[in-house]
Amino acid sequence: MEFKDYYKILGVDSDADNKAIKTAYRKLARKYHPDVSEHQDAEAQFKEVAEAYEVLKNSEKRAEYDEIRHASQQQGFRPPPGSTGGHGDNQYQGDFADFFSSIFGDEGGARSSGSTGRRPFGQRGQDIETELPIFLEDTLSDASKEISYHLPRIDSDGRVTEVKKTLKVKIPAGVADGERIRLKGQGGLGIGESPSGDLYIRVRLVPHPLFDVEGHNLIITLPIAPWEAALGTKVTLPTLSGKIQLTIPANSQSGQRMRIKGKGLPSKQVRGDLYAVLKVVMPPSSNEKIKDQWQKLAELAPFDPRAEWSEVA
Amino acid sequence: MNDTESTYLSFTEVCLQTGVDEDTVFEIVEHGIIEPIGVEPDEWLFSPTMLTVTKKAVRLHRDLEVDWAGIALAIELLDEVEQLREQNLYLQRRLSRFVDM
Repeated sequence: MEFKDYYKILGVDSDADNKAIKTAYRKLARKYHPDVSEHQDAEAQFKEVAEAYEVLKNSEKRAEYDEIRHASQQQGFRPPPGSTGGHGDNQYQGDFADFFSSIFGDEGGARSSGSTGRRPFGQRGQDIETELPIFLEDTLSDASKEISYHLPRIDSDGRVTEVKKTLKVKIPAGVADGERIRLKGQGGLGIGESPSGDLYIRVRLVPHPLFDVEGHNLIITLPIAPWEAALGTKVTLPTLSGKIQLTIPANSQSGQRMRIKGKGLPSKQVRGDLYAVLKVVMPPSSNEKIKDQWQKLAELAPFDPRAEWSEVA
Repeated sequence: MNDTESTYLSFTEVCLQTGVDEDTVFEIVEHGIIEPIGVEPDEWLFSPTMLTVTKKAVRLHRDLEVDWAGIALAIELLDEVEQLREQNLYLQRRLSRFVDM
């Protein structure tokens, strides 16, 4: 076990007063709190910071820590004998909190954010949150999905192990991205007589190669040729539930949206719509004959696509 | 095994699962951080997302030593950031269908 320099973690001098320690903690907590931080190991960083503060803000604990710190600077760090917090072996090796409990035992415990803290006897099981990717097609009707997740379990020796659990879950039609589904009692096992925790499934809609989701509406980008935009045409359009025929009117514009009612995603009340957004694309290459035709068109059509610019310039 | 009713939580369940007392949950509701369904506390229903927000509010209040008004503001802004991020991703995806990026 490595010695942890709480002063260094908070970035304060070893003679810093309580106010300076508090300020340093608050600043770092805002920076690393897993609920606000985008830092990669925000949670681990925050735990260190919280643990350092837990000790340094309390004059008794601080004095005790200072003593150990002083001794360790002279002869290296050895956890005080007999003060390990009740969990023997080296199973928590590398866990930062281990250093803390080697000095202070499990009493008071370091504040931990999230649900990873060890729980006292006779407590309700842990709530588990897991993400479930769902294809857009699966939201059209109730879907049955198999999910697997890991549950922490404390064995008879008090060791924390993980067990894999698999469940079949009914995902209701019209489920939205980010929605949480609660499965009561499917989380971590309670200790003693206490009930199990719950399982929360967070639904994530998988990005679709063709359709983008906007609320309950779907958007598909529909490429058309310049002459199709000019003359109008009929196209076969894929939807989430089969193909349909769509009429593109003459003189359509790139970026124009066409609404296909009721072909979006279902919701509890209504079904969303599908929007086809026109994208006029040029053919990749042309031959002399085609070039000729464009040339004729250029001479014939009184059209200045940059008319707006001349108003400004 | 997953009926829609059971996905909502009662006031007592929210207290139990967040590990805070009734007054704290009141405080969080009064600041508009979450808005349970129903008028009277004994008929309040909380969605799983509300529970998540409550847990987050409790953690931030405890760890950052910020009062509830500050937490309400922080959560609103965090929410907005998340929405903007998602919208940004969405718009990037939309844009990439129109132009080469």
